[in-house]
Amino acid sequence: MGKRKKQTVTEEAIDLSKAEEILDKYEGVQGALIPVLQKIQYEYGYLQEETVNLVAERMEISASEIIGVATFYSQFRLEPRGVHMVKVCCGTACHVKGANKITQEFTNKLNVAVGSTTEDNMFTLEEVACLGACSLAPIITIDGNVHGNMAPGGVGNIIQETGDHGKSK
Amino acid sequence: MINITIDNKIVSVPKGTNIFKAAKDNGIYIPGLCYHPKLTQYGGCRLCMVEVTERGRARHRFSCAQPVAEGMIVKTKTPETQKYTKSVMEYLLAHHPLDCPTCDKSGECGLQEVTHDLKLQTGRFKSVRLDQPMKRDNPLLEYNSNRCILCSRCVKVCKEIAGVAAIDYQHRGFKTVIGTAFDKPLDCSFCGGCVSVCPTGSWQDRTLKFRARPWELKKTPTICSYCAIGCSLVVNSKNNEVMRITAEENLELGVNEGNLCVKGKFGHEFINSDKRIQTPLIKKNGKLRPASWEDALEHIAKKFSKIINDHGGSAIGGIGSEKCTNEDNYLFQKFCRAVLGTNNIDNISNMKSPSLNRLINNAVVYGMASTSLEGIENADTVFFVGADISEAHPVLGSMVRKAIRFNKAKVIIANTRNVEFGSEARNLLRLNYKLGTQTALINAMIKVVVDEKLVDLKKVADKTENFNELCSSLNTSEIDIKKISGTTNIPEDSIRAAASSIAKAGNCYVICGKDIQEDPSGEETIEALMNLCALINKGDNDKVSIVFSRENNNSQGVNDMGVVPGFLPGYLDIEDQENRDAIEELWDVKLSADLLANNSGDIFDLAVKKKIKAFYVMGENPIVNYPNGKKVNEAFKKAEFVVVQDSFLTETAQLADVVLPSSTYVEKGGTFTNMVMTVQRLHKAISQVGDSKPDWQIICNLAEKMGHEFEYTTSKDIVDEIGVSVPIYEGIEVNRLRRKGFHWILSLYYKTKAAVYRFEVASKKTNAITSNKKYPFILLTGSSLRHQGTYSRNSESLISLASECFVEINRKDAKKADIVNGDNIKIESAQGKLKLKAKTTGRVPEGAVFISENYEWVPVNTLRGNGYTNVKISKTK
Ligand code: SF4
Ligand code: SF4
Ligand code: SF4
Ligand code: FES
Ligand code: FES
Repeated sequence: MGKRKKQTVTEEAIDLSKAEEILDKYEGVQGALIPVLQKIQYEYGYLQEETVNLVAERMEISASEIIGVATFYSQFRLEPRGVHMVKVCCGTACHVKGANKITQEFTNKLNVAVGSTTEDNMFTLEEVACLGACSLAPIITIDGNVHGNMAPGGVGNIIQETGDHGKSK
Repeated sequence: MINITIDNKIVSVPKGTNIFKAAKDNGIYIPGLCYHPKLTQYGGCRLCMVEVTERGRARHRFSCAQPVAEGMIVKTKTPETQKYTKSVMEYLLAHHPLDCPTCDKSGECGLQEVTHDLKLQTGRFKSVRLDQPMKRDNPLLEYNSNRCILCSRCVKVCKEIAGVAAIDYQHRGFKTVIGTAFDKPLDCSFCGGCVSVCPTGSWQDRTLKFRARPWELKKTPTICSYCAIGCSLVVNSKNNEVMRITAEENLELGVNEGNLCVKGKFGHEFINSDKRIQTPLIKKNGKLRPASWEDALEHIAKKFSKIINDHGGSAIGGIGSEKCTNEDNYLFQKFCRAVLGTNNIDNISNMKSPSLNRLINNAVVYGMASTSLEGIENADTVFFVGADISEAHPVLGSMVRKAIRFNKAKVIIANTRNVEFGSEARNLLRLNYKLGTQTALINAMIKVVVDEKLVDLKKVADKTENFNELCSSLNTSEIDIKKISGTTNIPEDSIRAAASSIAKAGNCYVICGKDIQEDPSGEETIEALMNLCALINKGDNDKVSIVFSRENNNSQGVNDMGVVPGFLPGYLDIEDQENRDAIEELWDVKLSADLLANNSGDIFDLAVKKKIKAFYVMGENPIVNYPNGKKVNEAFKKAEFVVVQDSFLTETAQLADVVLPSSTYVEKGGTFTNMVMTVQRLHKAISQVGDSKPDWQIICNLAEKMGHEFEYTTSKDIVDEIGVSVPIYEGIEVNRLRRKGFHWILSLYYKTKAAVYRFEVASKKTNAITSNKKYPFILLTGSSLRHQGTYSRNSESLISLASECFVEINRKDAKKADIVNGDNIKIESAQGKLKLKAKTTGRVPEGAVFISENYEWVPVNTLRGNGYTNVKISKTK
């Protein structure tokens, strides 16, 4: 996964040119809604009203249908995500090795519920199914980087490191 | 036909029918809550399981998803199917609130019905409820997700029929609800389709407001009184009060397959509105005061007699109604001509486009006029010319969507505005012409057809007259595709593509709308359009039909009935002595010798010139509805005596000397004629409100007061007379009308052969648009989805839905003038001025502003004169 730009949460009008570009690429392609939404989410971090309305207008699909699709698949987000994405694996192997304790630690330390973003917009916490590295269980990924053999005690450190890194950016 | 056996009954159904429908149509019940015959099949509720035996093998199938096959044996109730269905229901009910006592659906609920049918008891599962709050984010509909069984009907109706797709499934799994993007308030066309198809109490009609339980409602099928489609609807009343309107459940009946629009579905509150005029009113000392029928009629009779005595009958002008029935209008013109002795009668639709009757008649004579609306569903090409279908005739839009869904119909929209048309159609072709160039556009299309020999030109030449003249008129430098592409502002390719789609094989419907009909160059454009259609029809086997999309529920009928100065009923030329003799004999009267005196110019001109001294207005509000506001105001000011017959105290009624309360369409019988000349029957649903009377009855009483016997006891007696005296309505019989209607064009086509087409070669006219420095914008007017005249204006819920009429301005113009949505705008013309809020849009072309004519309380006509109206706009406070 590439580097993600820091999102601003201000109310400024957003720049739709990237979304336009994506839509241009898929002009006239049947069944392109999901790839378009994926690309837009990648670019903007989440699906916000302005971009969805643009997709609706350009692809002649109603906004309600688009959000219907977007809320069906867990990969789409309708809310801004934090600068850092924490994914805690809760697949079988990780579960057995105490993934829930890891999650617990993150929710405590970050004061955030699973699936949401911290108030300072720095971290988003998510739970995911098996990441395919069970031998390292329990594992988490932060911004795509794998951290294996996690112990609850290590959570604080990782947050510290990632957070500092984020701030210095 | 395919023969199958369902529960030991042999039934025969068309190929492609599914088992569910085959059973239902033959009176066999299968539970099932997601299938709906007018929607695409979904198969989500899993209730309709049946046992199917084919070639000796028995299998279980979902009946809504299984097409019939010859020899199939179906069992709807076996122990297995029952067990299965019961367990499905158990799951459904486990999530259901079962709040029937407070649910408006209780009594007509699909879920209740299946539960009852299966004799279900308390289920095995612990109930889990969503417990979401009821959603009331608009005045017409509410949504309760707790009661939803996710059958998808509402989602489908919204997308497939209404073409809006405002709602869809949101979220997944247990949390799934039906909703809008980002949970925004519902913003749709409010056709009410979702309420109509929802099998549970999730969607509710808020105009019912818990005022009645379904089993208390008296249901009377009748015809909608808003637009000229003439949808069948069912009036639900209790204690003589209309509670709600529902759609016709039997989809075979009526033109609309149970589809309605916002006005037809929710615009009924005017009927029992407390603003209805309850008694006759007579003006004394400048104030209208309640009076008895006796006094009011006496007063009118005296005044009218005096005017006739002093100035002759033609000093009285009569205005008939596009809203009243054929019977009302027939008697109205008879009264005016035979009793008052005036031929100065007219109706607003004729005054707005005086050539239209002649042109429509030509289309009939040449065999090009469409005979049914349902046929549109089989169209391969639909060409809208100046027709704003989504606003003016929404249900027609649903028919076109059906053609798109089943025939992949091509839709071409020619309009100066970028009018809305929601559909899944990806191949919509738009011809957004520059105002004033519409005739040139049609001529260019004709040229393409001829030049590219898209039809057999030899055949055309053989079967028509004047074809050579047409061809040589096309060879002038004026009609050059490239040049016209420049003036119309439409790419050459689009003009060519449109021409070839229309000329291409398959059925084609041309829908000619108000934006053409009422344009100053309307006559010339329609003639060109008919040339185009004739060219294709004669060269290629009558495949094009024209529909003139009339505006009001009986705009066609009022003209058919002869409420126009030029024609006796049935378009018989009144100048023709023979026709007059015939009617004299039928009516058993001697028409006054000076009947045709003053018979020139429209009646408001005559009043302005003081040739008309009195007005008799039935069910019409010309003060705001006649295009030229200044003239009509002057006309009424100059009149000495004005009688208005209406259900509400309109602007015109307020000017009257006597106002007579008339009943609305649900309080009377009679017939309406829709835009394709289908005569449909009304059924009386409630008794007359207040002291009101049906218009025809008022006319009878007045005639009697003036010493003429108008002996009609019911509206049926009048239909019988119409069947004799109006040739095109010959053979109409009330009892045979049932709800299928009488298609007068069709019966004419049976009787007579189409005339040989003669191409009209229009003398070149320069367009009437002049640029004007002082008033730089052109004013465009048109229909509105949410309002239409006096009725919607007095329907509370429609008002709360759409309380404001906007002036629509192109985004670019708005930006230049620094105007944003909601700004107060002053619109001024040479005639008058108006203040409205701005709405910026991409639908109106640059250099023009658009105001709907249908918000009756906004007198757009004060701005308008004759021809195009130039205006200027400015921001104000
Ligand atoms: S939707 Fe039907 S079953 Fe449910 S509460 Fe209403 S009436 Fe009862
Ligand atoms: S709201 Fe009604 S029609 Fe729509 S999915 Fe739910 S139950 Fe079906
Ligand atoms: S207004 Fe027209 S489209 Fe709407 S329900 Fe009435 S007849 Fe149908
Ligand atoms: S279960 Fe966590 S990586 Fe497989
Ligand atoms: S009616 Fe067949 S699955 Fe619902």
